[in-house]
Amino acid sequence: MAEQFYTVASDSETTGEDKAQTPLPNLAIGIDIGTSKCSVAVWNGTQVELLRNTRNQKLMRSYVMFKDDLPSGGVSEETAHDEKDILSGSAIFNMKRLIGRMDTDQVVHASKTLPFLIQTLDIGVRPFIAALVNNVWRATTPEEVLAIFLLELKGMAEMHLKCPIRNAVLTIPVSFSRFQHTRIERACAMAGLHVLRLMPEPTSVALLYAQQQQQLLHENMGSGCEKVALIFNMGAGYCDVAVTATAGGVSQIKALLGCPVGGEDILQNVLRHLLPNLDSFCADHSIEKIKSMGLLRIATQDAIHKLSRGQNVHINVDLADGTKVSRTLDQPEFEKVNEMVFEQCENLIKQCLLDAKLTAEDINDVILVGGCSNIPRIRSLVLGLCKKEEPYKDIEPLEAAVHGAALEGAIALGISDPSGSLDLLTIQATPLSLGIRADGDTFVPIIHRNTAIPARKEVVFTTSQDNQTEALIAVYEGEGMSVVENHLLGFFKVTGIPPASKGTAEISVCMDIDAANVLRVLAGVLMPGGKRALPPFIEVRMPTLDHGHGWCGQALVKLYGTALDLATIPKKMQR
Amino acid sequence: MLYCSTTSIHPSILKTLTPHHNQLNPSKSKPSKSLRQEITTRIKCFNSRIQKKSEPRDYYEVLGVSTDSTSQQIKEAYRRLQKQHHPDIAGDRGHEYTLLLNEAYSALMREDFRRKYGGGGGGGGGGGKRREGFGSNFSGMGYSSWNGPVRPQALFVDENRCIGCRECAHNASETFMMDEDLGCARVRVQFGDSEKKIEVSVDSCPMNCIHWVESEELPLLEFLIRPQPKEAHGVFGGGWERPADVFAAAKYLQKQLKQQQEQKQSPTGQAHAEVETPAQAEARYQAGLKLQWRQFHEMWGWITGLLGRETS
Repeated sequence: MAEQFYTVASDSETTGEDKAQTPLPNLAIGIDIGTSKCSVAVWNGTQVELLRNTRNQKLMRSYVMFKDDLPSGGVSEETAHDEKDILSGSAIFNMKRLIGRMDTDQVVHASKTLPFLIQTLDIGVRPFIAALVNNVWRATTPEEVLAIFLLELKGMAEMHLKCPIRNAVLTIPVSFSRFQHTRIERACAMAGLHVLRLMPEPTSVALLYAQQQQQLLHENMGSGCEKVALIFNMGAGYCDVAVTATAGGVSQIKALLGCPVGGEDILQNVLRHLLPNLDSFCADHSIEKIKSMGLLRIATQDAIHKLSRGQNVHINVDLADGTKVSRTLDQPEFEKVNEMVFEQCENLIKQCLLDAKLTAEDINDVILVGGCSNIPRIRSLVLGLCKKEEPYKDIEPLEAAVHGAALEGAIALGISDPSGSLDLLTIQATPLSLGIRADGDTFVPIIHRNTAIPARKEVVFTTSQDNQTEALIAVYEGEGMSVVENHLLGFFKVTGIPPASKGTAEISVCMDIDAANVLRVLAGVLMPGGKRALPPFIEVRMPTLDHGHGWCGQALVKLYGTALDLATIPKKMQR
Repeated sequence: MLYCSTTSIHPSILKTLTPHHNQLNPSKSKPSKSLRQEITTRIKCFNSRIQKKSEPRDYYEVLGVSTDSTSQQIKEAYRRLQKQHHPDIAGDRGHEYTLLLNEAYSALMREDFRRKYGGGGGGGGGGGKRREGFGSNFSGMGYSSWNGPVRPQALFVDENRCIGCRECAHNASETFMMDEDLGCARVRVQFGDSEKKIEVSVDSCPMNCIHWVESEELPLLEFLIRPQPKEAHGVFGGGWERPADVFAAAKYLQKQLKQQQEQKQSPTGQAHAEVETPAQAEARYQAGLKLQWRQFHEMWGWITGLLGRETS
């Protein structure tokens, strides 16, 4: 890959010699890469400080403009691109919705109405993404776009802090698969950043909440007992829910759940409502169409924002080809159009409470964060489900996640604060179950979701065929009962099983997740009675797969059938 | 997650969410139950497979809580230990121990859940015998009564040293009395006589065993100086005893009582945030040992593999 392109230009410009000699400072920045807006924060020794760009913005629009030879994210430029430029087809945005997704993914398909080019062939590979440069569609990848953007953020932070930066904590949506994690890590590596932690957004908010509770305790205003908070985070791309129990600066994540639904979906729903033939309108990607789509998008976005405060809004856009959108959108209509989105949010919260084994009465605080938390219907829905009158007030909805990420960065680097405001800890939980394929196509979870991290579990399986000497360990992530519903993370073969009738050999599969959320799978044969020495176990860091995972599973089945299958050990045989 | 990025194209992801989760939940408890059993029986990774099954008692030890502790206490202990040993704080070496903590915590909370909702109840609950320390039946009430208002200073006879000369009881008969069974003097009523009389009696004591003490300490001292029945083991032991140095004993007991009170008052248990019980230290040591063992094991596997290849 073209990694050498991504050297930090600012490094050599400003006092480069001094930097080469001084060791890297013990510093980590927190980055919140939002679908629409990004922010960077750092622990400055006494508190978390949000960094501002040259235009004095804390929240920066996330996009990369491919106008000239050098693509730019407009982070540190004097004049920003306005929304019209961004929607001209030359800029790529919504990277977070696209990164690590296959062209069969529903979210990718929904993104096809965006002004830049997204081509899908629906075979389970990376979609083709291109930006318009001098009337030519130039291909790129979400990772590359994200890397360019991160590089600019990094440059901005380095300018502020006047030292090179290596470590970063990034916030990610809960619903990201491990494969998507690797894509984020890849983008960070391209930008010269070392990922210290990938933190699910609501857990980073939970850490901030824990700090605030701890401070209240120091000021003798709070009680020392456990506080339970439900965090609802809905941004432009994703919706996440988490339940955290906080006491003594320790935030224990009880349950977390997320799905890729957000402001973008709401926008698309409204767009479709206004322009029923949206998909065919966007299909040809001619420059005129893109332009008029851009206008409609801006107007609709504006209308949705206005609906957060008012009861109705008028939309008036003249599309180039004679079509004209001119109508009034009122609150009930808006809510009806997005009924599905709200329903989905509701289900997430209900399920999350169920997972945490808590009821609405157990919740002390409801924390609403993210851009969509301003939508009246969402507010009333979340508060209603938690039986609360008011949400928690002391958290800034758009800055909470990055705040928590910066805190986590400082904690993970072992920075201590004499005043005790870093005396914090998040006990993370796994958002998705991890398991292997056994008993045919059944997904057998080994580490269940919402297990505290670090976690390690071992399960013993057996062979499914007589005289089977090899077994395939196919590791999946997800909640589906069958493996085809879940994500294949990787696979490897355990060999040297002593030939015996089926169901006698013991194959141990152990999964280990460390505090940095790295998954290792260890597998090997157990010898009955321990008479003979064990053949070496195999340890694999997951995920090992690149995209196209849908194929691998099918290809394996096609080639080997059931010859390498595993079976679970029946309950009665277990001691 | 199943509804976000499955390979199958599912336009109605919204629809699938509800039925799916409903389906998921009962099923979640079902297969996981068998798995759970498996996990507890074969809980340790292969490197420590030889280790016998983890008893609930071991889990209590890992968290350093007594077997009759409440779920609140378990939670507190868990958080406290996490704060010391979590890899975010202690670095990678905390990994193994945190694993152990997580395992113990989830097992105990499950047990607690069962106990709370009237399931088994036999899982190690209630069996804990709380060690009754010296002075555990201290009521906080003194022996002597007060004549008039309580003053900051009070009289106390160190009965260990009293030789039973009756001088004090003779000089201030309302204040002091003789315990004929034990043959020593004792304060019956504080300031029962005039101050002058009391002064004379204090000075008249040949053993100087009448002390002016803080009124706050008085109940404790008076409690401690009363002989306590000694635990008997057949023909040995039995009888009565009292601390040889009552003042030191009082100081010690005071400290203990204070700690107990602090614990009661501060549910976060911060008073002991830094203390590690021997069981915890042991568990931590074991966890470390396991780690070393694994390396050795891998090495051994590698060597045997190498040898096997050479011979074949």
